[in-house]
Amino acid sequence: MAQAVNGDDVHVDVGTIEKQLAELWRAEKGEQDDAAVTRAALWNVVAHSWTSEQQAHATEILALASASVPQRTIVVRSDPRGDAGISSWISANCHLIGGGRQVCSEEVSIVAAGDRVHHVAPLVKALLLPDMPVAVWWLGDLPDDHHRYAETLLDPADRLIVDSSHFNSPSDLELVSRIAERTTTAPADLNWARLEEWRGATATLFDAPAMRERLRGIRAVRVTLGGKGFGATAGAMLYASWIAAQTGSAAKLDVVREEEGSGIRGIELHFDDASTATIRREREGGAVVASSDVTETRLDCIARPLAHSTEDLIVRLLKRPEADRVYLRALKGARAAS
Amino acid sequence: MHHPPNPLREGLEQERVPEPSCLIIFGASGDLTQRKLIPALYSLAHDGLLPPGQTIVGIARTEMDDEQFRTAMREACDKHARTKPVDDEVWENFARGLFYLSGEFTERPPYSRLKERLEEIDRTRGTGGRRIYYLAIPPEFFGQVAQCLGAEGMVTDPDRGGPYTRVIVEKPFGHDLASAHDLNRIAVSTFRERQVFRIDHYLGKETVQNLLVLRFANGIFEPFWNRQYIDHVQLTVAESIGVEKRGSYFDGAGITRDIIQNHMLQLVSLVAMEPPVAFEADAVRDEKVKVLRALRPIDEAVRGQYAAGSVLGEHAAAYRAEEKVDPQSNTETYAALKMFIDNWRWADVPFYVRAGKRLPKRVTDISIHFRPAPYPLFSRLGMKMHANVLAIRIQPDEGISLKFDSKLPGPTVRTAPVTMEFRYATSFGAEPPEAYERLLLETMLGDATLFARRDEIETAWAWLDPLLKRWKDDPEPPPSYPAGEWGPEAADELLEKDGRKWRRP
Repeated sequence: MAQAVNGDDVHVDVGTIEKQLAELWRAEKGEQDDAAVTRAALWNVVAHSWTSEQQAHATEILALASASVPQRTIVVRSDPRGDAGISSWISANCHLIGGGRQVCSEEVSIVAAGDRVHHVAPLVKALLLPDMPVAVWWLGDLPDDHHRYAETLLDPADRLIVDSSHFNSPSDLELVSRIAERTTTAPADLNWARLEEWRGATATLFDAPAMRERLRGIRAVRVTLGGKGFGATAGAMLYASWIAAQTGSAAKLDVVREEEGSGIRGIELHFDDASTATIRREREGGAVVASSDVTETRLDCIARPLAHSTEDLIVRLLKRPEADRVYLRALKGARAAS
Repeated sequence: MHHPPNPLREGLEQERVPEPSCLIIFGASGDLTQRKLIPALYSLAHDGLLPPGQTIVGIARTEMDDEQFRTAMREACDKHARTKPVDDEVWENFARGLFYLSGEFTERPPYSRLKERLEEIDRTRGTGGRRIYYLAIPPEFFGQVAQCLGAEGMVTDPDRGGPYTRVIVEKPFGHDLASAHDLNRIAVSTFRERQVFRIDHYLGKETVQNLLVLRFANGIFEPFWNRQYIDHVQLTVAESIGVEKRGSYFDGAGITRDIIQNHMLQLVSLVAMEPPVAFEADAVRDEKVKVLRALRPIDEAVRGQYAAGSVLGEHAAAYRAEEKVDPQSNTETYAALKMFIDNWRWADVPFYVRAGKRLPKRVTDISIHFRPAPYPLFSRLGMKMHANVLAIRIQPDEGISLKFDSKLPGPTVRTAPVTMEFRYATSFGAEPPEAYERLLLETMLGDATLFARRDEIETAWAWLDPLLKRWKDDPEPPPSYPAGEWGPEAADELLEKDGRKWRRP
């Protein structure tokens, strides 16, 4: 990812954010050669946080992500229990793209507390760039879908980005699934993006025509994973329901927990005829390798390692312009199984 | 045999992965294999786009064993692969599918060895008899290779089922209509037309493919894409380099055969074609060839040859002083043509195309110049009105820009041209795949949309042949232009007499 050249935050009056942004660009243009700075946006990304730590995390991640997916970033921190007040800051996220040129995205930060949190959603709506899709990245506890505040904030969203590895209970999966079914907001899951290399390696195993015929014979999926709590198993549930939804098999999920580490460590697919296929990571951060004892010709299927940092996962989700139908199918299955 | 798609691929970045096959590269010790083909195949493997078992067999005269070939190809990938540094794990797996056979590919004996080797690979790597022959060799050897493959029974007939056989042919596709016709005749004596994949690497470029998306995925452009609104079209393929090590080939060919006959006519076809009924190989190629058939015989053309000069701050020698170039050569290093497409959409709209070596910079650019506003409202206030220009930059710095007039801020009505710009690098960040990656993958998938068909090649030659003959018969040397300039003066005059001028790309 290109080097981020973040400008300083400028405190601005809430009512003049857009005007101040225009001022910021005029000043930037004035300092630079005309062709040296390009302002670009493919998305409006609204990050919603409850704490200052989450806000700082979102700010850092989206500044990096904007190098690959130029965006207008709006980072919101809401503190309904705090003293009433609302403040805003603006800055530019600039990234070198070679030839001495920079591509810049703009960032707005809004902090609201007390009864002022109800001003956030209308303010965000006013700040969205026209014609560009809107993604809302929800950090921390998921919104209660009956909560008016969350509803209005999600109202313009084409995409809701969550991380199911942080889910506390099956009800979180249920909530995301309900949003998919009842609204025009398509959910996307950072944890599903983490599964991509596992899914890729699994798919590679079945590219061979001889193996294709065995897809419906998958009897069980055994996932070895690290971590505790419901969130740790969410990825395994999504994986197993993906297999079931895509192949029509009634694969049973068997989770094996390891004390150390986090995330998926390995997967075994068990077939009707007692044969197995294994998908494992060769070394930490390395390629995912799938192999099976099903065919006479044994060939390792290697999927390239994909970056796991949150900014890379966000970028991968935003580079998909349409809703991920395969994820929505897997989500539905995982919800039913949870 | 056709197998249903793998349902687990749905929604993955690598949604289409071909069945494992054996890619046999003739001329595997050559520059193209090392600089382009193997690095492209490695990048495909790196991106998870090759199936397990995909195998590559190199064949060439150079004595080498499998291990030496693998070492040489690893070095080639270290230097030329798009995805660097080379991932050891991916490489090891990729290299297990690399084999080499030394031999004289114009003679029969190596073919029986090759056949045995391929059958063994089918057994050990699951390639199932699927074969792709890549002829990275001069065209004069095509006939012998095709004949040997046919005689050894190494080509399957697609109409009889069974595993596929495909052949990839590199340009030049002939020297003129007669030689192109001969080459095609040789190809179809062994292969069916649908087994032949003629590579024009321009068609593998993202921006060239984006031409189709720009025109046919957007509702706003197509209504204006005709003679009612377009004044003229310009295409430029400029190279800052000279002939480098290709002096011997280039001196016998010239820029018209090297660039215009293939790359530029492909671009013209894509700009001018009617919407295809489907985004499928024959539907797209049917429309492209209709454009070529509608080309009016060339009336106005300019050629040139570079003299010594300066390019990008460096001294550049004259063409005739280049290595392996005849010191008395009359070969053109620059050509500019005024073309007309005689059909309903483009009647009387000139297409000005130019290609040259040792021009000020390397750039490929298409610009659509729109007609002026029907009533010059602001010209009466003494202001110069500018034509709207939609420019598509193919390389480098790929992107699209639209020029239009805007009011200058202030109390009086004054206008100035401004541009709206889209740049790939700015909006999408990621490096696009190399053209060869896309084209090799499409061959494995059996999709010929991005490859030239026999009738396209022959129609293009039939159109260019009279001009090439005219220039060949002309005893006068081509006008010279200093290296580092935009061609000879006559090229500027070609447009100036029509009241137009070349766009500075």
